[in-house]
Amino acid sequence: MTNRPLYLPVLLGTVRQGRASVHAARFVTTQLAARAGVETELIDIAQLPLRIDDAGEATKDPALSATLTRADGLVIVSPEYNHSFPGLLKHVLDGYLKEYIHKAVGVVGVSAGTFGSARGIQDLLPVLRELGLVTIFWDVNVGPVSKVFGEGGELLDAALVPRTGKFLSELIWMARTLRHGRESIPLE
Amino acid sequence: MTCPKCQTAMNHHADKLVEPATDAERTYVDPQLGGVVKRTHTCPACGDVEFELAPPPAQP
Repeated sequence: MTNRPLYLPVLLGTVRQGRASVHAARFVTTQLAARAGVETELIDIAQLPLRIDDAGEATKDPALSATLTRADGLVIVSPEYNHSFPGLLKHVLDGYLKEYIHKAVGVVGVSAGTFGSARGIQDLLPVLRELGLVTIFWDVNVGPVSKVFGEGGELLDAALVPRTGKFLSELIWMARTLRHGRESIPLE
Repeated sequence: MTCPKCQTAMNHHADKLVEPATDAERTYVDPQLGGVVKRTHTCPACGDVEFELAPPPAQP
């Protein structure tokens, strides 16, 4: 079995001005970076070259492809917009396929309302499955985001720490398990 | 399949059925499955991931 650290980047899935989801993304990145044997980084889709003159893998960014190939799993931080997840997040996700297959994914949902993007997460799950990602069943629901983070990103709700801890523990377990399978267990 | 980056033998762990996107891919269509099968391989040494088109079944 390989001794490489697990690499679990965090994908911030919104480009909106004034997005509060960035606080959740930074928080979970910090929590993940504190785990032993794990490397992470924050990938902000607002910083990616978002081609809109084609679709699917034709829009693939080589740098992000390399990052996703290296990844053993993903954390997706997504706000809820009109009862779903952002269209530009879907556009980014659709640009890749082989990079995702049999890798773990967990979702952090963020909303201005009480439910912490529960509806956005429900919409996202079948998309992740079709991409070949393997979802964990612990989500992090951040809502109302104004009661969880201050305007400067300071944490206002201490309960987010243990909730995120449970989420990350499952994600790391799944990422380790799937890495072993990808690298060592033949399909047939 | 051999890893193109480090020459280690890769592990075939998944098959993905897709619509053929090019004329070359159309020659790989498996009529029984209704599309092209992309075999997914992962390198146990460096973690690289590669697709390989599965050959279509032999015709009778």
